[in-house]
Amino acid sequence: MSPQDDPIIVTEKLEKTYRDNGVEVPAVRGINLTVHAGEFSAIVGPSGSGKTTLLNVISGLDSPTSGEVWLRGRPLSQMNGRQLSDFRRDHIGFVFQAYNLIPVLTVRENVEYIMMLQGIGKGERRRRVRKMLEQVGLPGMEGRVPPKLSGGQQQRVAIARAMVSRPALILADEPTANLDSETGAGLIDMMRELNRQSGMTFLFSTHDRMVMDKAARVITLKDGRVAEDRQKT
Amino acid sequence: MGFTIKLAWRNVLRNKRRTVIAGIAIGIGLAFLIFYDGLIIGMEDVAIRSATASFMGEAQIHRRGFRQTQDGALTVRGSAAVMERLRADPLVAAHCPRTLSLGMITSPANVNSILLVGVDPERERRISRIDDAIAQGGFFRGDNPRDMVVGSELAEILEVGLGDRLVATVATAGNGDLAQEMFRVSGIYHFSIKEMDQGMAFVRLPVAQRMLGIGERVHEIAIRFTQLKLASQRDLPFWEAYSANGNEAVSWADLLPQLKTIFDMTGTGRAVMAFLLIIVVIFGIINTLFMSLYERLFEFGVLRAVGTRPWGVFKLMLAESGSLGIISAAIGVLLSLILIAILSKTGIDYRGIEFAGTTFQDLLYPVVKAYQFIVYPAGLFVFTLLVGVYPAAVAARMSITDAIRRSL
Repeated sequence: MSPQDDPIIVTEKLEKTYRDNGVEVPAVRGINLTVHAGEFSAIVGPSGSGKTTLLNVISGLDSPTSGEVWLRGRPLSQMNGRQLSDFRRDHIGFVFQAYNLIPVLTVRENVEYIMMLQGIGKGERRRRVRKMLEQVGLPGMEGRVPPKLSGGQQQRVAIARAMVSRPALILADEPTANLDSETGAGLIDMMRELNRQSGMTFLFSTHDRMVMDKAARVITLKDGRVAEDRQKT
Repeated sequence: MGFTIKLAWRNVLRNKRRTVIAGIAIGIGLAFLIFYDGLIIGMEDVAIRSATASFMGEAQIHRRGFRQTQDGALTVRGSAAVMERLRADPLVAAHCPRTLSLGMITSPANVNSILLVGVDPERERRISRIDDAIAQGGFFRGDNPRDMVVGSELAEILEVGLGDRLVATVATAGNGDLAQEMFRVSGIYHFSIKEMDQGMAFVRLPVAQRMLGIGERVHEIAIRFTQLKLASQRDLPFWEAYSANGNEAVSWADLLPQLKTIFDMTGTGRAVMAFLLIIVVIFGIINTLFMSLYERLFEFGVLRAVGTRPWGVFKLMLAESGSLGIISAAIGVLLSLILIAILSKTGIDYRGIEFAGTTFQDLLYPVVKAYQFIVYPAGLFVFTLLVGVYPAAVAARMSITDAIRRSL
């Protein structure tokens, strides 16, 4: 199936305006965007351009001021809080720029957390965790706790957690922001490889030039609007 | 739920210092509640023992109306039969007959009004502590019918010592004629109870009965039960069984109603202590949980983002509150055990202090009851859960993006 045939994200006239001390601050202004299954896309732009807000609204973490988001064909505005929670749990994996993991849980517990929410049995969870940690290059690290891991290792665990429940979409907000360039490049290469292997859609925000270079599609935001949408061949 | 509890425990133990400080603050409140309860029970026991064992007994039988009028003619009806019945009663450990009459006592130096009490020394020893309180002489040693035992302050007023002569004057029952007898001081007691040390004198029962002209009848039968708590049981069949034939059987609670009233009021004291504990718990738990919540905003944001429902976050915070409650209860129980263990060895010396018409005669020890270590800690745990509802609701309703943004 061609990516173009299967849109996983569609936004229509998406607007998000914050109110700060009585002043309205538009963060996203009328964005129309379509992301297809299997894409490896980057949203780029300077600080304040609306990258994080766009990701938050797309994932249902935040509600738009106006416009609509369809995820896998379902309009988010039609879902209540509980349905949104369940939808995120089952269809979206998240990677944040830092503090991704619960420090009191071991690597295994962090990775299997979403599967526990999904009610997957212990044996299956353990099997998937082991396999996933191998895929992200952290075999045998199940018993470690996050504070004992490097920043790069923590982000790999976060990616493992995001992917282990096999969601259709992985959203990553500045995943390399707190990593040195070499570690960041390794992480993006790994994500790209996982994207190729699994067919999962990756959409991440970044202002890291190296990350932009590795993305198959680069959506540039400026002042809350899409300034450029470039598909690499 | 198991995972939520595990995560909650780990979160609570993450910042051990803060958890221990909060646990100690709340635990101290619980420890004092347990200790206070034990102390109040101990104080009640000592006060009742002091009041009943000094002289009064745990219960008394009189002719109805005698207590109000002190009329010497109102003797216990069928006293011999009543005492025979008391001897066979399994609830009764001991009893003793007495005559009671108001009168005057005169020495060469002075005169004083007294309550002249006729006692059977052998049986009296099993009820009252006059024998133990003897400071000089003895409590009716030998069989001299002229022996009289007086209180230390009365001896001072009358300026008499052992062997000195005294003349007692009482009104005979029925016609009110005055009867006089000469006695010699054979014993002086000191109770630290003003009414007893200054206003009572004891003579042998047959002598008193002869003076009063009441034959072998008595005014009062004092009783000690096999268990002190029986005297406080209003529904004990004993009271009805012996309140017959014109007599009345009354407990210490009727004889010293002010003491009973104060004991009833201790419930208010416990409620005040519990209220103070509740205040400490409210602030302790809310403060700790909100500090923990705002410190971990991003984590809560992540948990919610990856699909945890608000109810899941609510349960987690509530479990943390409960965990803190368990830690606080454990600390409180430990502190209370230490406090009680220390004071159970040393006791608190309130001897000689008057309290609600009685004077403490023994050291005060806190009394340990199983319920103090079950009901109060369990109550604390339940209350921490209730208090935890507020921060849990705040955490559950928090905007995910706010949580993530505010912590960056």
